[in-house]
Formats: sequence, structure tokens, C-alpha cells
Amino acid sequence: MAYLTLSGISKQFSDSYVVKDFSLEIEKGEFVSFLGPSGCGKTTTLRMVAGFESPTTGNITLDGVDITDSPPNKRNVGMIFQSYALFPNMTVAQNVAFGLRVRRETASNIKQRVEEMISLIHLEEHAHKFPYQLSGGQQRRVSLARALAIQPHVLLLDEPLSALDAKIRVSLRSEIRAIQRKLGITAIFVTHDQEEALSISDRIVVMNAGLIEQVGTPFEVYNFPQTQFVANFVGSLNNAAAEVLDPARGLLNLDGIQLITASDIQSKKKGDKVRISVRPERFSFADVQRKDNVLDCTIENITFLGSVVRIQVKIGNTKFNMDTFNNPFLELPKIGDREQVSCSKEAVLVLDE
Amino acid sequence: MTVSSNSMPGASEKKAPSRSSRFWAWLIFILSAAYFLVPLGATFYWSLKAEKDILGFEAYKRLFADSNFLPAFSQSVVNAAAAIFLSLLIIVPTAYWVTLRLPKLRPVVEFITLLPFVIPAVVLVFGLIRLYSRPPLLWTATYESSRVLLICVYAALSFPYMFRSVDNGLRAIDVRSLTEAAQSLGANWVTILFRVIFPNLRVALLSGALLTFAIVIGELTIALYMAQHTLGPYMADLTRSKVYEPSAMAIVSFSVTWMAMGVIQLITGGQGQATGGH
Ligand SMILES: Nc1ncnc2c1ncn2[C@@H]1O[C@H](COP(=O)(O)OP(=O)(O)O)[C@@H](O)[C@H]1O
Ligand SMILES: [Mg+2]
Repeated sequence: MAYLTLSGISKQFSDSYVVKDFSLEIEKGEFVSFLGPSGCGKTTTLRMVAGFESPTTGNITLDGVDITDSPPNKRNVGMIFQSYALFPNMTVAQNVAFGLRVRRETASNIKQRVEEMISLIHLEEHAHKFPYQLSGGQQRRVSLARALAIQPHVLLLDEPLSALDAKIRVSLRSEIRAIQRKLGITAIFVTHDQEEALSISDRIVVMNAGLIEQVGTPFEVYNFPQTQFVANFVGSLNNAAAEVLDPARGLLNLDGIQLITASDIQSKKKGDKVRISVRPERFSFADVQRKDNVLDCTIENITFLGSVVRIQVKIGNTKFNMDTFNNPFLELPKIGDREQVSCSKEAVLVLDE
Repeated sequence: MTVSSNSMPGASEKKAPSRSSRFWAWLIFILSAAYFLVPLGATFYWSLKAEKDILGFEAYKRLFADSNFLPAFSQSVVNAAAAIFLSLLIIVPTAYWVTLRLPKLRPVVEFITLLPFVIPAVVLVFGLIRLYSRPPLLWTATYESSRVLLICVYAALSFPYMFRSVDNGLRAIDVRSLTEAAQSLGANWVTILFRVIFPNLRVALLSGALLTFAIVIGELTIALYMAQHTLGPYMADLTRSKVYEPSAMAIVSFSVTWMAMGVIQLITGGQGQATGGH
């Protein structure tokens, strides 16, 4: 049986459901992300695990114990808040010690554990500073140490990296992941940033409007999105309208150009309108002979993005982005050139709406 | 957050006020200072003239020598302390709960705490005496029970000040996140109140306490009608029977208040930076 189980959770505020029929099983030591746009119910779900909200329906069990109705201070669930929520009247060391003092640990235990935690987050020199004397990144680390000091069963992180600048965000996220691995702690990480979720998680729960769209590893969620929403939200995507030509062979018509897809369109009929999705990096200029789809196009625009060059091409009447890795010997076409691009049939996705 | 307002172009243009506006600012400052300081100076001067032809502290000596002064003074101080304690005990949890759980009720609670402003002291005291001097609520029977009643009334009188200070203090911190952080670390309500909320409201609590102290220490009407020998009735008595001592008394009570403010400045000196950082 899974370590943390949410079964059939829903949450109603006044007259609207914010979370609907949410079921998820998390294994011990797993790092799971909730990914979705702002307002989709991520924080609410997390708060139900922490005990700050009680579910309208459904159950939560932790290590075999039903905790659906137990108060937050009895759950032993650590939480990192979107705001820092450090106690302004206490030093770093006192903040970290708070949970241990509440548990009436002995003074020597507290001292040892606090030192351990503070060295874990590399703030030894700042142990006796107050929160207002620290930078945003340092305050984040203190709140992490404070939550970890009590050795919680589960660590909940609500957008812990928002409001930090890009560099610190990336370094802190690998630090969080390293600490989580080292301690083997079960963690739920809430974010609306797909790159963050892809880089940090064992599994991602993609949410939309209170519902789970897909649960899977970063690899699965990115490469095999099950819904239109997931495909669009995770990574960038080209979308176009097409028409079914032959459901059995997977043939489609895009503005008079014939395409073949590996997606299952057997349930469709000839002439049905569908939406096709192709990731920009799945197009290429090379291998034109070997690919399933070879398409005539016009170069519309070229954008240099550092490690990647994004080229906008027009196929039929539809504009697509294609990404190729940058290298100093890359021979780029010029705007207005006529070229051929290729993509495999697996790259052409026809997804449920 | 203040950084953005500093960088507004309008703000930097106004940095150097013109000569005439500076003149008016000073004039207004001097006038208001005079309005405050001249009577104070005159009172102090008068309090020094108790002995014929020389200035000295004779009036103060007589005041402290009066066997009624110190008991009245200490009684008022104790009343004030008790009223502050009671008021804090009622207002802090109330304001905290309203902020955390019942924000919609804030206007109602705010109105209730304002009631002591609306009802004149004389009306209040007659109402009190009518209500509490007959069974089943016979609270005015003895001097001591009347005194307890008086302390309760003072606590109620302090509500407008206390609620406002505490409410301001609570708005300055993120009450909800701090509470939830403490909860998730295992703390119960008592721990949260005493270890997290109270310490972060230090400045607010002290200013509320100071205002309560200032009200109680010189309160006359209610103490008089309830036959309490506190500082208010004592001063009134003094004014009727003596010439210089009332001025000395005024200076003493003024100094006590200023000393209390000085103490608050000292205690909260470090805290000012902390809240400034947010
Ligand atoms: N206490 C509440 N009362 C009413 N509505 C709420 C409350 N908390 C959250 N909501 C609503 O629930 C929705 C989901 O919120 P939230 O879980 O915070 O989303 P997310 O964290 O994914 O951005 C939002 O529309 C929000 O307005
Ligand atoms: Mg949120």
C-alpha cells in the first residue's frame, strides 16, 4: 500500500468545486510535483494534506493511518509556505528549533539537531541573524530547515521558488532535490512552472481546473501527453487544424498537404476535423529521405535563443515553430527561402480535447 | 516596497522645498510647539513658587509628604496594570481570531470596541451603579468589590485604543501564514499565541498599554461616583484645597507618562528595524 494516499478528494468553496475527485498514491521517498496554471487548485490540495482545509469528500491516509480529520499540529507534515512565514521575532536558530521545542525535546537534542539542519542549508554564519537580515534565498532555506527539523512524514512545498531571481531559483531547486534525496523524505512540490516540475520530480501530476489531467514521470508527461491541455502546458507546442483522410492508416490533410500520424484515430471518420500538435524540436531539415512526413515550407522568421535556434516555417497556410540546437557551424537558411522539413509520424499528435 | 515610491520621478523633484514653504513649515511647527509647551512651562513655573520670593521644590515636598498622595497614586497604578492585563487578555485573542477566521465580522467588532467613546462617562457610571448595586449583581457592596468593578470598567474603556493598536499590529504581520507555520510544526493555540503572536505584537501591545495607562491614571468621573480613593479624585480634591500642589501634581503625572513613553522607545528600539525591513 502506498505511503500517502488521496482517494476521491474534492473541495467545495461556497458553491464551486475547486478540487474534483482527486486520487493519487505516493510512495515513500517519492518526489511528486503538482503542476498547473494559477487557480487550478494546487494549493488547496496541498492544504488538505497539511490539514489546513478539510476535504468536502474523500479520504487521506498517511502510513496506513486515516488523517482526513486530524488537526494540522498532529499530522507531522512539514510545510514550506508561498510567503516565507518565518517567525520575525526569532533568529534562524530559534526558528529551526521551534518545532523541536514544541515537542519538548531535550536541550542537547535540540542543539544538535539545529546545528545539523543549519549546516545542511549552509547558513552556519547566519545562525544568529533575524529573518529580516537575510536575503530571499536564505530565508527560503531557513524555512526548509525549519520544516525538516521535526523529521516530518511528508514535506509540502508551495511554490517555494517563486519570487526569487532566476539563478537562485535554479540552484535552490537542485539543492532542495539533493536534500530530499539525502534524507529520503516524501515530498509534494507545487509549481506552475513546467520546467521546474520537469527538472525536479520523480512524477508530475498535471492539474487543470481542479482535475487531474495526467500523472506520469517527466519523460512520459513531456513525450506522451495524453490530453491537449498537458501537451500545451508542458513544453511548447505547434497546433493546427487538420482533416481526417484515412482513419485506418492515420492519414490527415493539412491545407491540402498529406500527413501521417502514429496517434490512434481509428474512432474518427473521414472528413472529421481534428487538431494536430507537433513539438518544435521534432521538425528537422535533415533526414528528409528517411522520415514519414516531408513537407515543403517557406522560412518566415529566425530567432536566436542561445542554445536553441527557433525557426518559423510556413507549411501550407499554417505557421509552425521548429527548434534546432545551436552550434557554430550551423548553416541557417534565410528568410523567404523555400525548404523541406521532415518529422516522424510519432511526432504528429492527435490528442483528446 | 518603499523603494519603488522613492524611484518615482515626482518624488525626487519635490526633494528641495521652496524657501517660503519651508518658512511656513517652521512657523506651524513653532506655533504648535508653543501651544503645547507654554502651558506646561507656566504650570512648572507656578509649581516652583510655593515658597515666598524663591523658586524651589517645596510644593513637591509637600505633595509627597501628604499621607493621601502615595496610596492614591499606587492604587491608580495597580488599577491601571490590572485593567491593561484584563484588556489584553480579552482584546488580543479576539482581534487575532477575527483576523484569522472571521474577517467579515471585523466592522462589527470594531463598532463594539468603539462603544465606550459613544457613551459619556457620567451616563456609564449611573448605568453601572443601577445595574450592579442591587441583587443579583451586588458588586458595589464593599470597597474592594467596587474596585474590581472599576477595573473591569477601565478595561472596557481601553477597548477602542487597545483594539486599534492590536489590529494594526496584526495587519503588519502575516498572521495566517505564521499561525499555519506554527501549527504544522506541532504548536497548539496557547503556544501560538504566547510564542508567536504576542512577541510579534510587542510594539502594538505596548502602545495600547500606554494609552490605557494614561486613561486610567487620571480618570475622575467614574472613580468619584464609585467612591474610590484613586489619583483622579485626589487631584480634584487637591485643586479645591491647595494652590501650588495641583501644579506639582500635574507635572508629576506628566513625567510618569513621559517616562513610560521613554521606556517603550527603549524596549522597541531594536524592533523598529525589524518591522522596517518588511
Ligand atoms: N478559502 C477560500 N475560499 C474561497 N475560494 C478559495 C479559497 N481558497 C482558494 N479558493 C479558490 O480556489 C481556487 C483554487 O485556488 P488555489 O488552490 O490557491 O490554486 P493554485 O494554488 O493552483 O493557484 C481559486 O479560484 C481560488 O480563488
Ligand atoms: Mg497556489
